[in-house]
Amino acid sequence: MALLELKHVDISYGKMLIVKDCNLTLDEGEICSIVGESGSGKTTVIRAVLGLLSGQGQVTAGDIFYDGQNLLRFDRKHWRDLRGHDISMIFQDSGAMMNQTRRIGHTYVEYIRTHEKITKKDAWEKGKMMLERMRLPDSERVMRSYPFQLSGGMRQRVGIAMGMTYQPKLLLADEPTSALDVTTQAQIVRQMMELRDEYGTSIIIVTHNIGVAAYMGDKIVVMKDGEIVEQGDRDQILNKSTNPYTTMLMDAVPSLGGARYV
Amino acid sequence: MFDEKDVILEAKHVTKRFLEEDGRELTACNDINLKFYKGKTLGLVGESGCGKSSFMKLLVWMERPSEGEIIFNGKDVSHIKGSELHKMRQHIQMVFQDPTTSFNPKMKIKEIVCEPLLNYGRISGREVDKEARRLLEMVELPGDFADRYPHNMSGGQRQRVAIARALALEPEIIIMDEATSALDVSVQKSIIELITKLQREKDITIGFICHDLGFIQSFAHQVAVMYLGNIVEIMPGEDISEKATHPYSKALLGSVFDTKMDFSKKIEVVKGEPPSPLDVPAGCPFRDRCECCEGICAEEKPQLREIEPGHLISCHCMH
Repeated sequence: MALLELKHVDISYGKMLIVKDCNLTLDEGEICSIVGESGSGKTTVIRAVLGLLSGQGQVTAGDIFYDGQNLLRFDRKHWRDLRGHDISMIFQDSGAMMNQTRRIGHTYVEYIRTHEKITKKDAWEKGKMMLERMRLPDSERVMRSYPFQLSGGMRQRVGIAMGMTYQPKLLLADEPTSALDVTTQAQIVRQMMELRDEYGTSIIIVTHNIGVAAYMGDKIVVMKDGEIVEQGDRDQILNKSTNPYTTMLMDAVPSLGGARYV
Repeated sequence: MFDEKDVILEAKHVTKRFLEEDGRELTACNDINLKFYKGKTLGLVGESGCGKSSFMKLLVWMERPSEGEIIFNGKDVSHIKGSELHKMRQHIQMVFQDPTTSFNPKMKIKEIVCEPLLNYGRISGREVDKEARRLLEMVELPGDFADRYPHNMSGGQRQRVAIARALALEPEIIIMDEATSALDVSVQKSIIELITKLQREKDITIGFICHDLGFIQSFAHQVAVMYLGNIVEIMPGEDISEKATHPYSKALLGSVFDTKMDFSKKIEVVKGEPPSPLDVPAGCPFRDRCECCEGICAEEKPQLREIEPGHLISCHCMH
């Protein structure tokens, strides 16, 4: 049975239909990349999986199954247990998603204590241990810092450490490297790939960087104007696609030793 | 390949220091020597905070160098001011990363693209409509966009307007600061096709800031790699994946995700993050993250030296 299954999902913001007839399956330990231009609805899809659609957004048709359960029938209590425990999300800038006036340690302890009956001191230690596992040096200092005191790459590692605390089966990553430098991006991508090797985590990564999508994804989904144009394995999308939109998108990716305009 | 008499703009030993609140000095650009050749593109690559934008800002007089000279057509222009500066600005124009914040949202597109022309009295108010149409058509936008406001356009269209504005005065040099980084790949491609076409037609010199080596190699004639305020390598734009010699340039190349790469290999990553520019290590600035660091790297700062024509590198270990 697939870990996650989206069946004929429509998503609207108010009266506007944004995502049309989205079908997607993800197996355990599989990595799926969603690519597309800005406004193609790729972020909306993964936000819907975690019930995080903003404002007027809601799923208006179809079903989302996680581990055999229909997520759309969940109540608040169920969601609370699921989010951050079975399914986690990493955002474009994890630091901006935290309370700016609270130290990282404070946020982390609060998060751990929502999911587990544990003393503050133990929660602190657990947080530190996770940070070290994600190769953040000087974890005590990180725990005592405010989000803005850390570099973009470090903040993103904190976000990944938080997301991985309960070894979720599914990790949703929304443009996790778009705000980072190329060298830091390579570090974060490598780290995310290692999560799958170590913990068997399934990952959905939304990105407009097609190189990253191709490197990470077992499966690549191409979206345009709220619809899935094509999905398939890496070789299918990169080399064998006959879809004009997919080929146009792949041709536009700058490549080392590729076409020169001068 | 490059002819010395074609040098249009040259930075000679340019250093820029900023004073921090606590009295410490931050060296954003350290003894930079670069030459811009007529009609060619110089790509400046590096991570955020390496001083690449600070350097380009010196060239458009948004900042003044602490030391060194900037020579334009044989004359030092680094400290000109008043009417002389006003005249000189016609020759060097700039395109910014985010066109949304570099336009006044209350101005119409025709007012935006014609403002430089009106400032320099090149056209009269009556000619604005006609000129705006001509400029928009030059960047392959419909002339009817002249009456729109910036928020009615997409990011790619806005960036074209920004290019039209920069080209309005027919400058010799355009500085582009991450001009395509906020755009989708398909739009990025069309913008680069436009820029290179205009460059050929008008023989414009371009200084392009970028952090993606894969992208810059598709249109730059010359690439300079910057790390912590220092230029570590200058090389011709062709075949940089084979030519790059400095360990940092190689690390940057290794971090590029490419659709034609070998997916079975683990991606190479360079360890750590750049140190704070307030606290640059003595000797070679890259030595803390370098794989082939030797004793001499900690003691002496490497100088740029030529290893083949047009290819300079500052490293003790690579020969």
